Amino acid sequence: MNRKDLLGLRGVSREEITEILDTAERFRNVSERKIKKVPTLRGRTVVTFFMENSTRTRLSFDLAAKRLSADTLGFSASSSATKKGETLMDTARNIDAMKPDAIIIRHSAAGSPHMLAKAFPWAVINAGDGINEHPSQALLDMLTMRDHLGSLEGKTVAIVGDVYHSRVARSNIYGLTTMGAKVVVAGPGTMCPPSMSHLGVEVRHTIDEVVEDADVIMMLRIQRERLQPGMMSTVNEYSRFYGLDLDRLRKAKPNVVVMHPGPINRGVEMSPEVADGEQSVILEQVTNGVAVRMALLYLLLGGEPMGGDEHGS
Amino acid sequence: MAVETIILSGGRIVCPSTGTDLVADVLIQDGRIAAIGGEATGATGRTLDCSGAIVAPGFTDLGAELCDPGKSWREDLASGSEAGAAGGFTTVVCSPRTDPVVDNPVAVAELLARAAQVSGARVEVAGALTLGLEGQGMSELGLMAGAGAVAFSDGRKSMMNAALVRRSLDYARPFGRPVFLRPANTDLEGAGVMHEGEVSAQVGLRGMPAAAEEIGVATAIAMARLTGARVHLSQVTTANSVAQLRSAANEGLSVSAAAPARHLFLTDREVDASVYDTSTRLLPPLRSERDRVALVAAVMDGTVSCVTADHVPMTSLEKEMEYMLAKPGAMGLETALAATLTATNDPVSAVRALAVGPAAVLGRTADLAVGSVADVVVFSAEGTHEVAGPFRSKGLNEPLLGHTLSGRVLLTVRDGCIIYGPLDG
Repeated sequence: MNRKDLLGLRGVSREEITEILDTAERFRNVSERKIKKVPTLRGRTVVTFFMENSTRTRLSFDLAAKRLSADTLGFSASSSATKKGETLMDTARNIDAMKPDAIIIRHSAAGSPHMLAKAFPWAVINAGDGINEHPSQALLDMLTMRDHLGSLEGKTVAIVGDVYHSRVARSNIYGLTTMGAKVVVAGPGTMCPPSMSHLGVEVRHTIDEVVEDADVIMMLRIQRERLQPGMMSTVNEYSRFYGLDLDRLRKAKPNVVVMHPGPINRGVEMSPEVADGEQSVILEQVTNGVAVRMALLYLLLGGEPMGGDEHGS
Repeated sequence: MAVETIILSGGRIVCPSTGTDLVADVLIQDGRIAAIGGEATGATGRTLDCSGAIVAPGFTDLGAELCDPGKSWREDLASGSEAGAAGGFTTVVCSPRTDPVVDNPVAVAELLARAAQVSGARVEVAGALTLGLEGQGMSELGLMAGAGAVAFSDGRKSMMNAALVRRSLDYARPFGRPVFLRPANTDLEGAGVMHEGEVSAQVGLRGMPAAAEEIGVATAIAMARLTGARVHLSQVTTANSVAQLRSAANEGLSVSAAAPARHLFLTDREVDASVYDTSTRLLPPLRSERDRVALVAAVMDGTVSCVTADHVPMTSLEKEMEYMLAKPGAMGLETALAATLTATNDPVSAVRALAVGPAAVLGRTADLAVGSVADVVVFSAEGTHEVAGPFRSKGLNEPLLGHTLSGRVLLTVRDGCIIYGPLDG
C-alpha cells in the first residue's frame, strides 16, 4: 500500500482495502499462538494519542503494535498538555521531536488527523475524528463480514441508528460501497437526515424496512455525548422504534450477521438476547480489530517482509 | 502621502455612475479629477502609462475588521489601510467589533483621530448598533453619528430579536446613517462550521443550512417593509437570499446587500479540496455551486449591489488548530477585485459592485467626473496570476491562496495621492 497515512476510507481503493484485509487475515494467527509476538516492527515507535475517551480502540491499537514488537507510548486527554492550554499542533511538535514512526489519533474535531498528516512526516492513523471517520473500525467490520459472507460484492448491509453522528457508519459506508456492497441506513429523521443519501446509501426510517433484505445488520450506539437538544425524545421510544430484538430479528434472513461497534447500550440498540445470540459476531469484531490494526501498522510502516510460514495462515 | 499632479494616460475609463466607458487620459490635480481627455492629454505632471488597464473609481468596503484596538496582532489601522490600498480600496469602513467595542461617541472620535494618520485607504468608522454588540441595549447612535460614524452595525453578530431590529431601524433613521445587519438565525446555524449539504455530509463536519441565512434575509425584508427604513445586509450568500432580494426590489423596498467576493469564486468543495484548511472556515460559510452561480448573476444584474472583501484577518493564533475550533473568517481586501473579476469576467460589473454600490449605501457617489475627489484605482483585467503573499495585511488566512485569478491592482490614488503602486501592467 503506497500511502503515508490512513485518514479515512473515503478515496481508498478496492485494491487497497483488499490488501489490508488479506494482510489482516495473515496476521490473525499471531494472536492464536502461545508467544503472541513477531519482530516485524522492532525498533519502531508507535504513539497512541487519544484526545477522547476510548478503551477498545486504544487497547486494540496498543496490542497490535506490541504484537509487532513496536515500542508504544500513549498520550490521553487526561495526561496531555492540552488541559494546560497547549494547542494540538504544539503537542504534535513535541511528539515529533521524540521521533515517532506512527501516530494513532482520536480527536473530537473532524479533520484533526488530516492536519497532523499534512504537517508531519510520520504515519497518521485516524482512530476516530469527530463525526467524520473511524477507518480501522470499518476495516475490522468488513473483515468480519468477509469471514461470514465471503465476498462483500452485491451484499446488503443495513446500518441502523444514529448514522449522522457516527464515524463508524461513515467509514463503513465509504468502504462498503467501494467494495460493491449496498448500504441501507435507517434511524430517526434527525439521525438519518436526507443528506445522508449524498454518501451513496439508501435512507429509510423504520428498522422493519431494512431488516428483511439485509445480509448484515449493524446496530449503532446512541452517542449521548454528541446529541444536541431535540435529536430524539426518549430512550424508550428510540428502543421501541429502532431497537433490534428477537421479534424483529426473526423477520431477517436466517443467516444474517448482527454487528455492533461497541460499547453496547444493552436494551437500547439491541436486546440482550440479540447481543448474546448466535447471529451476533460482536466479539469476533473485537478479535479482528487487533489483526486489522496490525495489518495497518505493517503496511504503513513498511515492516520486514512476512515469511510465509512464520506468519502465514 | 503627497498630492501630485498625475496624468493617467491611455487607460480604459470605466465609470458606471456617469456611464463612461472609453479610452482617455485622466488628469488629477489638487486632489481632484481635473480633466478627462481634452486638456488631460499633454498636461504636465507625473504621467503614468495605463494603456491596456482599466481606470475606475476607487473601491469602498463597508465592513472590514481592522481589529484595532484590542487585537492588533491580527490587524491595525495602518496595516488594514495599506491592505485596502493594495486591493484598490480608497475607503474602508471598519467594523465596530474591536476590544473595547466602538459603541460610544468617544470611541468613534478617538478612532477617527487615529485613522487620520493612515497612509493607505481612508478609514471610516461604523458604530455599534447595540452596546457591546450584545444585541440588547441601543448605543448612542445620534452622538456617534455626530462624532463621525458613517453607519451602524453589529458586525458579525446577528441580531435575533426582531423587536430590537425594528426599534433600531426606527431610531437610526433620523440620523441619516444606514444600518447594516448580518442576516442569520443563529439557533439554526447551531454548532455548524460549514455549509450544510453534500460536502458537509462527506467530510463529517456539522453544517449550517442555507435556511439560517434566508430566515435572516426574510426578517430584514419584513422589517424594511414595516419601518420604511433603509436596510443593508452585510453578507448574503445563497440563491434563495438573492431571490428574496429580487422580490423586495420589485416591491420597491430599500434593501441593499453585499456578497463576499470570495463567495463568488469558491464553494464548499474548497473545504474538502484544501483538506480542512481552516482559512476556509468562514461566516457565512462557502456555499454550494448553485448558490455561487446565483450570487454571481445577482451581482451582475445589480440585485446584489455590493461586493464586500469581508475582511477578517487572523493569524496562526486563531487558525492553526482543529477545524471546528478555528475562528471563522478570512482576509479579503487584497483579493476582492481578483475574485470578483474572475467570477464575473466583467470589469464593469466588478467596478459597479466594488465602488458604486457600496458608496451608494453610504449616500455617496463613486465616479470619475471632473471635479470629483480623486479616488481612483487602475487595474489590469487581462492575464492571470496565482494568488500569493506577502500581503500588506497582518492576516495569514487567505483561502484564495494558490488559486489562479485574473484582475490585478496596479495603482491606487486617494485624494489625489498615490497610496499603492504604480506596478508595471
